[in-house]
This record gives sequence, structure tokens and C-alpha cells, in this order.
Amino acid sequence: MRLPESLSRLIYNAIPSHLVGEILTKRWADNLVPFLLLSAVIAIFGTAINGFFAPASLLDTTRQLGEFLIVVIGLTIVMLGGGIDLSVGSIYALSVFMSVVGIYLWELPVSLALVLAIATGGLCGAFNGVLIGYLRLRAFLTTLVTLIMGRSLYDILIISWGKQLQMSPILNDQFDYIGTGSLGGLPVSILIAGAFALLAHVLLSRSRLGWHISAVGGSRRSAYNAGIPVRRTVFLTYVISGLSAGIAGFLFAARLSGAGPGTGSGLELAALTAAVVGGNSLGGGRGSIAKGLMGAIAVLTMTNGLIRLGYGTGSNQLVLGFMLAFAVVLDIRWAKNRHKVLAEVYVAPVHHRMSGEESALPNGGGAYALNDRLSEATPIALGEVEGPEDVILDEDGNLYAGTRHGEIVRWFAPDYKRSEVFAHIGGFPLGLAMDRDGSIKTCVGAMGLYSIARDGEVTRLSTETNRSWLSVVDDARLRDPNDCDIGPDGRVWFTDSTTRYDAHDWVLDSIESRPTGRLLVYDPKTGRTKTVHDGLRYANGVCLAHDGRSILIAESWACSVHRYWIEGPKAGTMECLIADMPGYPDNINRASDGGYWMAWLGVRTPTFDLSLRHPGFRKRMTRRLPGDDWLFPNINSGGVIKFDEAGRIVCTLGDLTGDNHPMVTSMREHKGELFIGGILNNRIGRYKIPGANPEWTSWKSYWSSTTETVAEGDPNQAARRRESAETTLPEGRA
Amino acid sequence: MTIKTKLARTLAAALCLATLPAFAQETGDPGPAYVQQSLAGKKVVLIPLALGFDLAQGWNHYIGSEVRGFGGVWETRDPNWDTAAGAQAITDLISSADKPAALLVHTPDLTSYSKLFKRAQDAGIFVIQVDNRSNFASDAFVGSNWETLGELEAKAAVAACGDGSSKKIGLIQGDQVNSSSLDQYAGIAKVLKDHPDFELVGAPDSNWDVTTARNVATTLLQQHPEVCAVIDFWDNTAAGTAAAIRDAGLTGKVKLVTTGGGEELDCKALEDGTFHAVVMTDVKGQSRDISALLKFLLQSGLKPGQAKSWIYTLETATTKADLKPGTCWSLKDVQAAEAALAK
Amino acid sequence: MSVLKSGTLSQERIVFLFAVVLFAAYALLLDGFLAPNNLVAILRSVSVLGILAVGMGIVVIGRGIDLSMVAVMAMATAWQLAMMNAGTPPLLATAIVFAGVVAVGIINGLLIAYAEVPAVFATLATASFVFGLVRSRFIVQDAVPVPPSASFILEFGQARLAHMPIEVVMFAVAAFLSFVALRFTKFGRYVYYMGDNYQAARTMGIPVRPMIIGQYVVSALVAWLAGLITAAGLQSINTRVVNSTLLYDVILVVVIGGIGLSGGKGGMRNVVIGALLIGIMLNGMTILDLPNIYQNLIKATILLVALIIDSRLNPRDEQVGQQGDI
Repeated sequence: MRLPESLSRLIYNAIPSHLVGEILTKRWADNLVPFLLLSAVIAIFGTAINGFFAPASLLDTTRQLGEFLIVVIGLTIVMLGGGIDLSVGSIYALSVFMSVVGIYLWELPVSLALVLAIATGGLCGAFNGVLIGYLRLRAFLTTLVTLIMGRSLYDILIISWGKQLQMSPILNDQFDYIGTGSLGGLPVSILIAGAFALLAHVLLSRSRLGWHISAVGGSRRSAYNAGIPVRRTVFLTYVISGLSAGIAGFLFAARLSGAGPGTGSGLELAALTAAVVGGNSLGGGRGSIAKGLMGAIAVLTMTNGLIRLGYGTGSNQLVLGFMLAFAVVLDIRWAKNRHKVLAEVYVAPVHHRMSGEESALPNGGGAYALNDRLSEATPIALGEVEGPEDVILDEDGNLYAGTRHGEIVRWFAPDYKRSEVFAHIGGFPLGLAMDRDGSIKTCVGAMGLYSIARDGEVTRLSTETNRSWLSVVDDARLRDPNDCDIGPDGRVWFTDSTTRYDAHDWVLDSIESRPTGRLLVYDPKTGRTKTVHDGLRYANGVCLAHDGRSILIAESWACSVHRYWIEGPKAGTMECLIADMPGYPDNINRASDGGYWMAWLGVRTPTFDLSLRHPGFRKRMTRRLPGDDWLFPNINSGGVIKFDEAGRIVCTLGDLTGDNHPMVTSMREHKGELFIGGILNNRIGRYKIPGANPEWTSWKSYWSSTTETVAEGDPNQAARRRESAETTLPEGRA
Repeated sequence: MTIKTKLARTLAAALCLATLPAFAQETGDPGPAYVQQSLAGKKVVLIPLALGFDLAQGWNHYIGSEVRGFGGVWETRDPNWDTAAGAQAITDLISSADKPAALLVHTPDLTSYSKLFKRAQDAGIFVIQVDNRSNFASDAFVGSNWETLGELEAKAAVAACGDGSSKKIGLIQGDQVNSSSLDQYAGIAKVLKDHPDFELVGAPDSNWDVTTARNVATTLLQQHPEVCAVIDFWDNTAAGTAAAIRDAGLTGKVKLVTTGGGEELDCKALEDGTFHAVVMTDVKGQSRDISALLKFLLQSGLKPGQAKSWIYTLETATTKADLKPGTCWSLKDVQAAEAALAK
Repeated sequence: MSVLKSGTLSQERIVFLFAVVLFAAYALLLDGFLAPNNLVAILRSVSVLGILAVGMGIVVIGRGIDLSMVAVMAMATAWQLAMMNAGTPPLLATAIVFAGVVAVGIINGLLIAYAEVPAVFATLATASFVFGLVRSRFIVQDAVPVPPSASFILEFGQARLAHMPIEVVMFAVAAFLSFVALRFTKFGRYVYYMGDNYQAARTMGIPVRPMIIGQYVVSALVAWLAGLITAAGLQSINTRVVNSTLLYDVILVVVIGGIGLSGGKGGMRNVVIGALLIGIMLNGMTILDLPNIYQNLIKATILLVALIIDSRLNPRDEQVGQQGDI
């Protein structure tokens, strides 16, 4: 390799630039902006204020934070549900009043005073909730009005009771302890706030109600149509907000043990600013407790900081107003343009140098030279089937194939004119395998591994595998399950082609050429799936070797076939069987002569091979050109290849006309015939194999006790051949 | 002078004489050194309800110059009428790295800051409450007795009406929440009890808002055009009441009595007849009281919380006849002086 | 609002009826209520509120809301007076403040039209910002008096036209001009189209974004006018009015008068009716010597009832409610 190419390889392969895009897809990535803002605020005020970080100072700041945080959390929940609550200031004030009255006039114990405060808050919240949730009033104006009502009510109450309250001789040590005491070095109020935040977080992220709130905030109409009780959910968000204000008011009362005319006024603006600065979206759907927490700390640090620095009236409002405008604009622009930014940075191609000089050109003389034999195939279900990625046959000769419509269709033997929907799954069924009991195991695109019993009943087997700690994207999710096969012990081996793209974005995965495909195994005994091998460039077809001791795996974008040992001395290791083919392999299935059929979805082109060595070029291409103009693997001429146990190419079948089977994704031998599927095709091909065993069926080869096809299966011999193959591993393979 | 001090003096004088050759510059007065030692570098912080009104500006200037004068550090905090912000400011000061020696606090109500005052005293900070009392007796309270203020207002109104008038008085109250408002009302009620022939015909609230004051005063005058005097609780809202009187064409007929900080605007309003009488808080005198108290406390060797005192500022109802140059202080001058200092 | 529906009880009619009934009841029960001076006083007491409601009404018809009006009203006037107190020639001070007020309107418009920030938040933020900026940088006290040199302001405040105080005259002029602008100019018709269906207005080629900026500039200027009139009457402007319930009263006038918050409906007639109702109500309560805080509670309750009636007349449900429309 010349130096510039080596350099580019180093830059594109060693720097994990794909992580930027992966982080941006995370919901928590939203927190980066408020987090930076928070850090900036703390840094600025921390340096400007002498003794800001002194423990005593922090203790007092956190004491106030406790109350404010609880209010902000309540508001966050309302906002997440698509509403807004401006009345928190008044509810807060009323709860302060009730706590103080409870303690100092009615001489209640602390616990009852707390109940009183919470009940006050909850009642006010319920009032808002009825108006906005059930009567469907506009949240902003309604809570503005209830804000004034609450404030007036509070003023009236404080006038009639204020004097008595202020003269009360009662001393309640417990109450004072909550206000000014500490537990393990932390103020009581921040401990309560912490517990409350945790509870709220669990509620939002782990409970049915929390999901309902997010759903209503995200799309009210959809939530309604999905049967979520929208009105009740909205109602509850205001009740929660009221309860929060109630608890916060109780803590305030304990801290200052008094209620004055101005208590809680202006709190709504500060809380709203905090919630928005933290990154909670206006109008709902996007937000979290963590965001509220960050916003609360930032706003409180700032407002306190300005007072502590001795800035006069107005500075606070100046900065708050600016922060609110800035945060809202940022929030709205970000929500609007996030997907554009993501599209800009997500595709992160790597350098990949393909080798192998062999050609698939017809009459080229090599082992891979394609011919025109597939054009002789007779079509089944021509124009009736869409996208039979994989095909399989049962012992009665009935034909099954998945379709783009999310169904598995059965065509009846012998002429395959008659068909029925065998099972409706919902996702696009790709690879198929037939189990010992005749049930069909299938990989459903973007869904997972499913089993369809003989009576058509669909069972979900697995939708997730183990999560690896260092992966940014959630690799527990089965993003692109592609093909499966079943071991003699009943374990299902299957591939997940990529962790970075959904199935329909396979073109982007090919352009990126990043090895993220995996081989997984599902164990029916435990019901669990685990990842056994990763780092494959689009892991595709899998096939259990005839002896049942190893698995063959097609690695599409590397144009290779590998063997993974499931037992024997090499168990758990992978070795390369065929490297650097001129075509992109798809599914692999057993042949009656002890070899294997392999589908080629397309053949390599020198232009794309060249572009793989220029990651920068591919990156620019995806950014600047529309998808139609991209260079990606040729899928216009594929074919079927047969190879033996040692990886030698035995024969090829192609369709040079391009009419019948330009792209082949699977094939299945059954009683001397080959049934051919293609994910973009409108038919299933039926090809008579010259000289094939007319009694052989795939199911028998797997499950009947007779082992007639192990002639070539001498493992020792195969192993020796493989060792020689390993020396020709393509570069960069892990 | 007791014998003891005489003796001490003589001794000191002798000592001075003896050391005179060595320390020629010593005057023999221990005061300056003691003051230097006990006051220099002491931080004093003023926390008014808000800095943006005349009284607070006056305190800031007059007390501030004294504190700076004795070598102390003068600071202010501006909670802008927000009790919670004020509480937080006090809390922060108590826990700050360089604690103030004394806090001057203008309290919003009777209870809100009481606990904090206790904490401040425990932390070794003197707490002087200014102008508004709370129900915690801190080291000192300096300010108006609001009930007396109300009495003075009522007396001024009674006097303004005179015997031959309708003897009907209107009241524009504050908000019926604040103790200053409630105490004033109590004072007025007390005086009116002594003058049973006088009648209170209406007592709407201005809610401390000048436009509201104007509207409620307009209605009051509309309903009772025969009133001879109106008492407004604050000179700020009295501007609205005055506008209402003017609108009603009753200038001169209805006498307006109010309270104020004695700023120039008050004198101007008295001068042109807008106000009939203003019960003035003597800001300069009040500031001097506070300054003297500060100097005493910081030198006294007392611990915060050991002593208590209430110092009520002398208040007088000032009418046009009492006006002399220097009756009022000028906010403009004060601000100019502060601005010059800032530079 | 179904102002155009005839024969049914539209909110405007309800409010109008209510005002008439209230008026009659007060006239019968309260001594002195019907006195000519009291009636003028009612008008005067709601004039500034009415002027603000005129500006707010224009914005609300265009499906917006301007929460920065009271801040602009107080702070622009305070800034102007402060400059004049400091010796700036009145004309220069006025020119500077004019530029400032227009700038606030433009900022509101830019945030709402171009950055697509919901109007409530954009104007809430600018309100806080404007208050903070002027309060902390340009004035030192809550209240700024009219300088003695500017006696013309005093005279303006005292002026009367046909026995009507100048505030009432200005309210009438502002309402009439806005009525003409909304009814008979292209700008006015476009405001209705925009308020009725923003997307459709945009699609048919109405320059909606510049229009929004225009609306907020108008409302800011109207607010400033209200501030000047207040200062002329009171001889000072108190910036604490920003913290008062005045803003809510303005919204109350607009909503109760029958200009639906969903935009595109109503007109200046509704503003006048709304202002009159509030004026009658407050005047009666003051005559009854009801404390201010009770008045607030009653006002708020009435506004709430108005909102509930509004939602009954213009129901929104999960299918028609717009996402993010709070």
C-alpha cells in the first residue's frame, strides 16, 4: 500500500468516528447541551464567588435546591405530557401556608402537616387537571388564571391568619430539623428531593403511567387512537405537579418557618426557565428528570450567584430572560435539525481493500464464470409474490416463502398454482429453516427470531441478545436478523447483519463497510440468545455443515465464507473457507451431493472495489449526492454457486438475460430441483438440477437418522484444507 | 469622672510622658488604635427589601459612607422584594468564606427571617433590623414605629380638616398583609377613637401600586366628594392618589397626608401643594443611629445576642410651613455620590 | 369565537348582556354609580388597559400573544423619563426609545416567525429581558418621575377633549385606528387570514413572517403609548407594575371580549366591550369597598369561566388539537 492510502486507512479505521453519530442517536445525547451549559454556569460563578465550593456554602445552596428541584420535576412531568403549569408558584405558596397553619396554629405533628401540604398541592393540581385534562382548556392560559386565583386566595388567607401565625408561640423541633438539619452531611431537603427525583425517574421511565405521559406528549392524537386514556393521563400530570409543589412548599415552610406576602411569587418563571434550559421540550414528548435536574441547578446557581455577587434588581431577570430565549431557540432548532445533523455525520466509512483476481465473467475460464442456465428456470407465482428472500419446502413438497407484506405464504405441491397465507408475522421474514418437528424458524427483519408451528401459529423466540458493555448503539437489539439454521441439538444459529443500520438501509452499510455483523445462537432450553462471534461485514447466510459439527457463514461485503466450529477441538473458533470471491454471498444451503449451494446477490465491480479504498470519497458521496447517485454493490447480476466441503467451487448457475433471476438471495434443493428466491424478485424459480438425487430433501438431510451424505465430510481432511485457506485471509480481518 | 478613671488617666499620662522621647508621634489617645483594631476590615452588609427605592438608596449612601469611613467593607444585596431571595442572600452570607461582622436587614414580615437571624448570631454576626421589625429580637432594631407613624398621619389629617370641615377622611391602604400597613392602620384607628366626630368613609387597598391607587382614589372621591382629607400609606402610591384628586378638581380642597422617606420629591410635593403633610422618616438621622450602633457593637466586646435594644427614629409630620432648606435629602445627589465612588 | 353566527348566544353577546345587567344592577343598587363623573371615571380607569388590549387584540387575532407588553410599557417609558431626567433633550430621548421599542417588537417577531418559538415563550423571555435590561442598566429606582422640565407631559395628562380625559380620547383613537386598519387595509385582512389558518395563508403567498414581525412591532408601540399616557396622568412611572396583574387583566379584556385565542376572529368591538365590562365590574367593587385581593379573585374566576365557555363554544379534542399547541 502506498503511503497516502496507509495514512487514510489509519485515519478512517483507527479513529472511531462512527461513535459521534451513534452518540447522537441516543436520547441521552440531548443532555449534552444542557450539561455544557450547566458546567459553564458553575465554572463562571464558582470562580467569581469567593468560597462558592466551601462545604458550608454548598450545603446552603443545596438546601434551597431541594425545594426548587421538586417544583421543577413536577413541571417537567407536565411538560413531558404536552402541557404547562404556571400555577406552581401559587400552589407552592398555598402549601407553605397550610404547613405553617398546621404546625403553628393547629399544632399538628410534622407528618400530618406534610400530609396537609401534599393534599393542598394535590387538590390544586387536580383542579388544574380537571380543567385542562377533562374540560380540554388551554394549559397556558388556564394555569395563568389559576395562578392568579391561587395567589389571591393565598393573600386573603395570609391576611386573615397572618397575625395569629406570626404571634404563635409554638416551637416544633422536628419541623425545624427538616428545615435546617442535616443527615450525613446533607440537608434533609436535598435528601427528600433526591428520593423524589429517583421516584419520578422510575415513574417516567419504568411505569405504565410514565410511558403514557410520554406518548400523550409525543403525539396526543396517536396516543388517543392507540387507546391511551389521554384525558386521565393529562389530568394526572397536573396532579403530580401539584403534589410536587406541595412537598416543596412544605420544605420551604420548614426552612423559614413562616409565610409572607411574597412567598413563591415569580417561582413559575424560574421553574419554567429551569425546565426549558435543561432541555425539556415545549409541547411535550421529549424530556427527563435528569434534564430538569440540570436546568434547576443551572438556574439556581445563576440567580443565587447574581445576588451573592451583589448585582442589583433586574440583572436576574435580564439573564433569566436571555437564558430562556436562548434555550428555547436552541431547543426548537435542535429538534428541527437533529435528523439533518445525524444524517450528515452518521455514515462513517472505513478503508477496506479487497483482493482476489478471479472473475465471474462468462467465458472467462475461471471457476466462478457465470453461465445462462438459470434463465431456463420456470417461474412460480410470477407477479404474485413480492420479495421471497428465502424459500423452503416441507416433506410434502409444499413451498414456503416470506414476502415483503410480512407474511409467510405456502404454495401447494405439485404445481404450486394454489397458495395460502401460512402465517402473518408483521415483519419481513428473511431466512427460513425447518426444524425437526416441521416447524419453521425464521429471521424476521428488524424484529427477531420467530417460530411458526405446522398449524401456522407464530411464536416469538428471541428479540434480543446480550448487550456488550463498550458498544454505544444498543447491540442487544436484533437490528437486521438475516438467516438462520438449526443445529442437531435444536439450538438455532442465526446472523444479525449489522448493528448500525436498519435492514432497509443495507446500502449505507455496504458503503460504510464497517464490520459489525454477528453470529448469534438461540438456545431453546434457556430461551436466551447470545452473541458468539462479531466483527463481520454484513453477516448473511448460515448453514449447518453436513456433519453437524460446524456452521458456514456468508460475509457479504467481504465476499467470503467462513466456518465456525460448534464442536470438536476447534469449537468456538472461526476460520475462513472461501475468501475474496468475485460475488457478494447471501444464503447458503445444503446440496444433495454433500456440497453447498450459495446465492450471490450480486457481483463485485472494480469501481466499487476501488471506492472501498477511498473512505473519504464515500463519505463525501453520501453527504453531497442523492441516494440514487450513490455507488454501491452491483445487484443486477447474481447467481448460484455450488462449493464442496473444502470450499472448492463445483459449479455456477447464472442468468445472463437478467430477466428471471438477476439477483439471487437464496435457493433450496428439493427432490432434484432447485427453488430460487430473490429479495427484489417477483417470482420463485424452479430449476431441474441435472444428475441430482431425486429423493433427497433438505429436511431428511437434517433430521433423518440415515447419514448418507458424509462422504466428503471427513473433518480432518477438511481442516487441512482450511489451514491452507487461512493464509489467503483478506487484510484487516480480525 | 470617678477616681478610678482619674487614676488611670494620670497613669496613662505618666506613661506617655515617659515614652515621649521614644515615640514622639504618639498623642496619648488610645481611641484611634482601638477603633482601627476593632473596626478596620469589618464587613457590613445591607439587605433591604429592594435597593430600588428611596429609603434603601439613602441607607446605602449614608451608612455606607460611615462604614467605609471607619475602614470597614460595605456591601449590599438586592432581593428585589423577593423574600426567598433575601433569605438565600442571608444564608449565603452566613456560610460565606469571609463572614460579615454585621447584617443590616430590612425584614419583609414578622417571621420569615427569624430563624436566619438566630443562625447569624450563632455564627458571630450582629444583626440589626432596619425599619421593619420581626418577632425575633436581634441585637438591635432601628426604625420607625409604624403605629406612631399612623397616629401622626391621623393627627395631621385631623388638623388639616379642621373643625369646620365635613370631618370625613378617606384611606388608601397598602395591602393589609404587611405589618407596616397593619400597624399604620392601628395607629390611625387609635387617633380616630379620640376624635369620634371624624368618620372614615372608605379604606380601599392600593396593593402598593400607583395606578391602582389612582383608580381606587378616583372612585372614593366620586362616592364621597365631601371628604376633607385622604391618608395614603406611602408617598409612592400617593402620587396616584394625588392624580385622582387633581382629576376630580379637588386640589386644595382634599388634603393628602402620607408617609415618606423625606426625599426631595416629598418636599417638592409639599411645596406645590400636592401633599398636605408627609410623615417623614429621617433617613439621615436613622442612618446616623445605625452607624453609631454599629461602631458601638463592634467595639463593645459583646457577643451577638447578648444585648437587645430598640431605637425608634424620631418622626414628625412635615407640612409646607415646616419646610426649610435641608428638610429633604436629594436622591440625585446621593446617587451621584455613589456613582463617583464607584469610579 | 362564533361572533359571526347570528341568532345564537355567542360569547360576545353573553358578555355584552352581562355588562348591561351588571350596569343596571349597579345603577339601581349603588348610590352615585350613575353620576356622569363616575361614568367618565369608569372609562378613564380602563383606558390604559383598553389601549394595551387594542395592541394585544391585534396580535391575538393573528394567533399570537404578547406577554411583553406591560414590560415594554413600563420600561420604555421609564427609560425615556430617566434620560430626560438626566438632561437628554426630550426629542432625542423619544427617538432613542422609539428605536428600542421597535427593536423589542422585531426581536419578538424574529423569535416567533423565524426561530419558530411559541409566542408565549418568546414574549415571556423578552418581557423578562426588557425589564431586567432597563431596570439594571438604565434606571436606579423602581419609580421614575416625570422631570419638572417636561411640563408639556403634565399638560398632556391634564388635557380634555369634549369633557373627556385624554386617556379616554387616546383609547378611542387607538381603537378606531386599529378598527380601520383591521377592516379596511390589506394588512388587516392578512392578519385575519393568518390567524385563521397560518399554513394556508403562507401557502397562498401572504408574507406571513414579516407580517408577524409587523404585529409585534405594533403591539410594542401601543404598549409604549400606554406607558406614556400612564406617566402623563401619574407624573411618574412605576416599573413594579410589571409584577402586577395588569398583564392578566389585558388578556382578560381580550378573551372576555370574545377574541378567541385560536385567532382569526373578533375585532376592536370586542376589546371595547371587554374593557367596559371590566371597568364596570371594578368600579362597582371599589364602590362596595371590596379589598383588592378579592377583586383579583373575582376577576380570575370570571376569566376562568370565560375560558370554559370559550372551550365549550370552540371545542378541541384529540383529533383536531394541534400538537404542541399549549
